[in-house]
Amino acid sequence: MINFILQTVVIMALSIIVSYIISKPISLFIKYEKELPNKYLNKIESALFKILGIDRNISMNYKQYFLSLIILNSIFIIFDTIFLMFQNKLSFIGPKYPGLSFDLAFNTAISFVTNTNLQHYIGELSLSLTSQMLVIITTMFIGPSSGLASSLAFIRGFLRKSNSIGNFYVDFMRSLIFLILPISIISSIILVILGVPQTFSPFYNISSITHQIVYTGPVASLESIKLLGNNGGGFYGSNSINPFEDPSNLSNFFEMFLMLVFPLAIPLAFGNLLGKKRGLTLLGSILVSMIIIIVLSEILKPIGYISYRFGNYSGILFNSISLLTNTGAIDASLFSMSSSAIIAFLFSMFIQSIPGSIGTGFMYLIVYVLLTLFILGLMVGKMPEFIGMKISPKEVKLSVLVFLTHPLIILLPTAIALSAGYAIHILGNINSYTYTEILYEFTSAAANNGSSYLGSLGNTFFFNISTALVMFIGRFLPIGLMLAISQSFSLKDRKAGLEPLPTQGILFLLLLDFMIFLLAVLTFIPFVIVGPLSW
Amino acid sequence: MTESIRFHEKYNFRKIFLDSIYKLSPIYLAKNNPVMFVVILGFFITAIMLIIPGQIPKYEINFYLAVSLTLFFAVWFSTFSEAFSEYEAKARVDSLKIFEKEIIAHKITNDHYIEVKSNSLRQGDRVLIKKGEIVPTDGFIIDGSAYMDESMITGESEPVYKNKGDHVIGGTKVIEGEIKVEITSERGRSFVDKMISLVSQAKRPKSQSEISLNILLSGLSLIFLIVAGTLYYILKSLGYTYVNIALIIALLVALMPTTIGGLLPAIGIAGISRLTRDNIIAKSGKAIEAASDADIILLDKTGTITEGNRAAIEFIPLDNFDVRCVAITSYLSSFNDNTREGKSIIDLIESMKIEIPDKIIDITLMSKPIEFNIKNRYSGIEISNPSKIMDYIKDEKICMKFMEILREYATKGENIKILKGSVDALLPRIDNINKEEIEKIVRDIGEKGETPLLLTINTKAVGIIVLKDRIKTGIKQVISDLKVMGITPIMVTGDNPITAKVIANEAGIDHVISQAKPIDKLNKVDEEQRKGHVVIAMGDGTNDAPALAKADVGVAMNSGTRAAKEAANMIDLDSNPSRVVKIIELSKQLLVTRGAVTTFSIANDISKYFTILPMILVLNNPKISYLNILHLTTPETAILATMIFNAIIIPALIPLALRGVRYKPENPRKTFIKNFLIYGIGGALLPFIAIKLIDMLLAILMGVK
Repeated sequence: MINFILQTVVIMALSIIVSYIISKPISLFIKYEKELPNKYLNKIESALFKILGIDRNISMNYKQYFLSLIILNSIFIIFDTIFLMFQNKLSFIGPKYPGLSFDLAFNTAISFVTNTNLQHYIGELSLSLTSQMLVIITTMFIGPSSGLASSLAFIRGFLRKSNSIGNFYVDFMRSLIFLILPISIISSIILVILGVPQTFSPFYNISSITHQIVYTGPVASLESIKLLGNNGGGFYGSNSINPFEDPSNLSNFFEMFLMLVFPLAIPLAFGNLLGKKRGLTLLGSILVSMIIIIVLSEILKPIGYISYRFGNYSGILFNSISLLTNTGAIDASLFSMSSSAIIAFLFSMFIQSIPGSIGTGFMYLIVYVLLTLFILGLMVGKMPEFIGMKISPKEVKLSVLVFLTHPLIILLPTAIALSAGYAIHILGNINSYTYTEILYEFTSAAANNGSSYLGSLGNTFFFNISTALVMFIGRFLPIGLMLAISQSFSLKDRKAGLEPLPTQGILFLLLLDFMIFLLAVLTFIPFVIVGPLSW
Repeated sequence: MTESIRFHEKYNFRKIFLDSIYKLSPIYLAKNNPVMFVVILGFFITAIMLIIPGQIPKYEINFYLAVSLTLFFAVWFSTFSEAFSEYEAKARVDSLKIFEKEIIAHKITNDHYIEVKSNSLRQGDRVLIKKGEIVPTDGFIIDGSAYMDESMITGESEPVYKNKGDHVIGGTKVIEGEIKVEITSERGRSFVDKMISLVSQAKRPKSQSEISLNILLSGLSLIFLIVAGTLYYILKSLGYTYVNIALIIALLVALMPTTIGGLLPAIGIAGISRLTRDNIIAKSGKAIEAASDADIILLDKTGTITEGNRAAIEFIPLDNFDVRCVAITSYLSSFNDNTREGKSIIDLIESMKIEIPDKIIDITLMSKPIEFNIKNRYSGIEISNPSKIMDYIKDEKICMKFMEILREYATKGENIKILKGSVDALLPRIDNINKEEIEKIVRDIGEKGETPLLLTINTKAVGIIVLKDRIKTGIKQVISDLKVMGITPIMVTGDNPITAKVIANEAGIDHVISQAKPIDKLNKVDEEQRKGHVVIAMGDGTNDAPALAKADVGVAMNSGTRAAKEAANMIDLDSNPSRVVKIIELSKQLLVTRGAVTTFSIANDISKYFTILPMILVLNNPKISYLNILHLTTPETAILATMIFNAIIIPALIPLALRGVRYKPENPRKTFIKNFLIYGIGGALLPFIAIKLIDMLLAILMGVK
């Protein structure tokens, strides 16, 4: 028991220390939207932007920003889809696998661009190494960089009065070149040292009693960005359960740490710019609700051993952190999880902001803050305010829309899949287990998480297309709405004096957590009752 | 006066009832109350299923009927609360109409006059105004001339002479003469008219918090619509055969924020009518919200913080005179002084229990009064026949020094002037004591923010009367209430900084604008708004109008000028400036009530899930019977009990909606925590108890074991 607590605390503490270091450049990137104050960084950036043709002095409003984001992401969706469909012709490093069907390729493309990494294919048996590198690994950098960039613009809207929120390309390149890429390279090297393979050979033939094929490839470079960018899609179909992705307890530990680094850094960056205490309060409420979820996930013991390599506790802890950060990687099979663990996982994805995925998780958290302030804040006897800015009907409307999107794109397709026979087609019969698998699938898609019960079972036209749409809407609609919220705040006058309901301190920390769980429970509890609660 | 305009009329329940029925129209609800719109749709669906035969299995008809009826009542309770509050508010506002004086005007038509109500006058109409009559509305003189009393507008009591072409202001009075006036402005939309439009739900411009709340409630309703709709299909495919449409509608309605949805209009209207009950007129809902947000308030010193007149508080004897001598001299010099200052001197003598002998009092009858004027700046009496007076009072044994001086002048045959007045004016003639000594005392008095008056008998200084601004009783409480609510009061005064500071300290105010010119008030409002503060300004003069218009909340006194009342967005009919705390309190109370009922409504859902859902599901899925923590009798009683609770909580909370959540000035954090515990935590627990009780009652009524 002490061992488990210690393990959890050490992981969180280490992540927070590194998050704190990373939060410094993040806040610089938010504050100095045009020229960076650091001479060297500025030089690199100027040279880079000159080559790429990015003009730092162009500021975008939220529509232009969002449009740029959508365009860039769409280019990758199209490229990925086409490449995967014709990988047999386009690959220069083997194995010569056939091209994917359109719906699977489309699903996979959207899945990786939207930072979801839902996989209806088995990596080592379906994708050539060229596809793994050019499509999968490359796109794994695009998704998180887009997410981080949008959170930079989002926070900027609260920071200063202006009619623009920044330049998407600047934010995107900064996120990619200065943060995600270098840290990912360092972590790849560490993973290689810890025993993760990194090679251009697609497999090794081993002749022992029988002929064996051991699949390999550039696993370490995929693994680092998979976790650092909260992507979650494995090189292998079995994800981090496969010892080549996660060879030891130490690597398991390191992978959990990687998942937390960015999501925890953003509230700290927010705090650097808009009040240390406010940042710490948000971080605190994230940590408290994370602990609630982790305790819930561990409270019912699974039957038997779920992971011989890491033990039950660490196995579930890895999955919890993966679900909380919307990464979606797993180091122990979902099928072996207890009902309380599945409930914990589902709620992580329903909430998607504790801490949630890189960039977007924090934006969702602010939406929860706004709803909390508005619902409870009136009881102070003043019009609700956030950082000295009035919360007007427009922001309430946008927040409600963000909040509405999630249940809509989870529940509607789940009901359709169940009623229209698509679920029964792949699962054989409908009971509280198989129903949960379907609910989990769409929740995972909507929250851009990516963990899945179905795996390659989901490779049917209906599930490929439906989850692709859910992932797309679940990713981009809220980002668009939240950028609009940010723009709306960026136009506001800042009031002097204290907020009526101060968004800092222990009281607000507890209220925020209370509202987060209340809203999630009110929306989703019936679906959990007939699912894992009926097991 | 306050009592007379209070609302006494009996409720016209027929009218309220009819209005509440009219408001059941789905079109009206769709426009005004999205939550109740969904509920009435639920009612229609269940009703249609009941009417068309074969839709429902026979054994479920009673259940459908019950659900249908509870849905109907939930909506009707809501429209009733709205109709009730509108009726009450309208009646209150109507009662305020007496403040808008109807005047009979003599309208000139074709060389003769007809008597019309001032309301019917239009621009370009010509009226005759005779001596003693009131100008019905603004215009200019086309014929004749008159002395006008404009004191109600300008505060200047001196009559003003007005000639042909001059402008006359509505509400002023002709003292002498007769004029013909051409009307330049219509009486138009008065502030009471504006108020009336605020208390009708349909016409009322919604305030920001109300719009936001409506959006939030619609959003929540939509979410629960998605939840209930998809749940139905998911349950069907999971083999929950027991589930039917009525159950799903019941679940939907139970989850939707019907309590706040039903009461939101009533809360808003009642909030405005509470202001009216306190004789405060709000011209817009925005002003009410701004009042709740205010963190800076500009208070005029005179009339708000102080009584407006200085009063004597102390006698300081000079040159070996004793206090009794000073008192007697003061008495004599003030006897003819009818100002409040003069009276306060007499009051002070009485309160000091110093008796003035009758014969001394008689002196005043035998002497000539010296009136105060701006040039001399003193007043008192002049005794032109001192020897005669000396004879009259020679037996008096009081204040020998006083008697000696009188005797001295009497023997010299000089007239005796007993004066009190400005130190500057009287000091030069003093010869009995060192002038520096007096100057020192005067300085000390000034530093305390008080005002000295010098008392003299010819060239002899007798003493000093210390005058002081008296702060109003209760103003300290007002200031401390404001501060506790997080509002910074700023005192505005024309006084010198020292006097201003002293008064401010005494009242508990930390920020002062002294030697303020009229423009300073406006500048201060502007300055604070630039810093991002929400500012309340109060005033009654035309000078104040720009500041009242600029401020987020401008409160004009009803006694104030027309310009001030036009510029302001709130008017205090009782003209009591210290009541601004009440305005803020009521505005905050309105927001707190909205927030509390919203929180209550959402918190209710937690327990409603536990009463409905396990009961629906347990028949098909015994595994979840552990969720049935309340052990309700049967699924039917559980659902009906929840529905009934859902419906009756609306009328049960009507009194709260109309009265508002209890609010008193205190730290906002304390207000919040208290309300969160009562309406949040209480709201989560109450339905458990209530539904269990209703369920037990239903079990008895329906004869279920």
